[in-house]
Amino acid sequence: MSAIALSGAALLPCQTAWAAGTLAGTNIENIATASYDAGSGTIDIQSNTAIILVDELLDVTVASTDAGDVPTTPGATNSVLTYRITNNGNGPEAFRLTPNVANSGDDFDPALAQVVIDTNNNGVYDPGVDTIYVAGTNDPLLAPDQSVTVFVLTNIPGSQANGDRANVSLLASAVTGTGAPGTTFAGAGEGGGDAVVGASGADSEASGFLRVDAASVTLAKSATVADPFGGTNAVPGATITYTILATVSGAGSLNNLVINDPIPVGTTYVAGSIALQAASLTDAADADAGNFNGTRVSAQLGSVPAGETRTVTFQTIIQ
Amino acid sequence: MKKIFVALLALVSTAPVFAAPLELASDVFVEREQKRPDGSVATILEEPKLVVPGDQLVFVVRYKNVGAQPASKFTVTNPIPRAVAFSGTADGTEIVSIDGGKNWGFLSQLKVGKADGTFRPALPGDVTHVKWNLNQTLAAGSAGKLVFRGVVR
Repeated sequence: MSAIALSGAALLPCQTAWAAGTLAGTNIENIATASYDAGSGTIDIQSNTAIILVDELLDVTVASTDAGDVPTTPGATNSVLTYRITNNGNGPEAFRLTPNVANSGDDFDPALAQVVIDTNNNGVYDPGVDTIYVAGTNDPLLAPDQSVTVFVLTNIPGSQANGDRANVSLLASAVTGTGAPGTTFAGAGEGGGDAVVGASGADSEASGFLRVDAASVTLAKSATVADPFGGTNAVPGATITYTILATVSGAGSLNNLVINDPIPVGTTYVAGSIALQAASLTDAADADAGNFNGTRVSAQLGSVPAGETRTVTFQTIIQ
Repeated sequence: MKKIFVALLALVSTAPVFAAPLELASDVFVEREQKRPDGSVATILEEPKLVVPGDQLVFVVRYKNVGAQPASKFTVTNPIPRAVAFSGTADGTEIVSIDGGKNWGFLSQLKVGKADGTFRPALPGDVTHVKWNLNQTLAAGSAGKLVFRGVVR
């Protein structure tokens, strides 16, 4: 017999649409046929049908879907970690979700706020839209191969330092049962068969990590004196130029950073002398960042990322 | 004309009686590996009480000539259930089909058309039907069995 290479006819129909395997409750039916000649022509016969029922395999995977440590800040509420739960079994199965914020080997334990199911399936936590999970009430029911995204929301203690990490894990367990691979639950399978624990143990756990980004600011103030005679003596009539260096360190950024400095007693503010990054600012309380209210100068620096420095200068004259 | 009619009638009326001097029976078992106390592994065949995807199945087709006449041109065909990936036979004398029984050949001779118009060699999992052409005449009373294996998809 020569090689059969029929283009259309040899294209295979799709036999397995399921990565998880043949669906639980499927009957595998086998019939053999035979033909023979006992002297009066060809006769065809059939065997009995051997039937076996495919039982339900319980398998699940949980994976953290965050790209790495999720940044948060001291005192933050509802820090979001994201997990994906996949039913790798061959029958529809509900999964119980158990978050754990108290894992060892990390720097702190955040407080559990909520577990939320990504109801609109967009992969992003939408407050008020996605459904709050209540164990035993809305355990996600997943078809074979189906996945669901789950968010674990936690609150960060206000005292956490820059760089502190927290391990938050999520466990998903088949509601039918868990146990050593091969453990059987008689009659509990989809379609009337048994349910059998698969290689995962019918439960799976994955960790996500929060990292505290805390920024802090240090101020350094210096002064230079120029007297009316071209020297540097602090005599009446001499001009003092103050320089304030605001350096933000740590990680993340500081928001609404404002520098206030009272005018020293015995000196008089030089009108219009406030400058930020060498750019002049007006004294009025207006759109620009500078302001002199009669007793102090102020510079609104806004949001300053860690690693950056802002320089504020102003001048006074010794009375 | 009358004679032919009688002959036809006889064939029709007696067909159910003579149609099955050959018996064919199909059985399925699950093949499992069992560790002996000494650590070695024994392969055992079980009744298929518990079957999940990935399990090894053993299909046994038994035949017996229960008639008085020898049977010639004896062939046995077994379509592979859709949920089973064929993995081979015990004797290796079978021919197979990968297109629902239209074309037949040894597995090594068959090719599968790919979406891009090229071909790849057929794999055991592509097999849709398995067939044995037993060339010898089956004497009255003789029996035998054919065995093939598959994996639950």
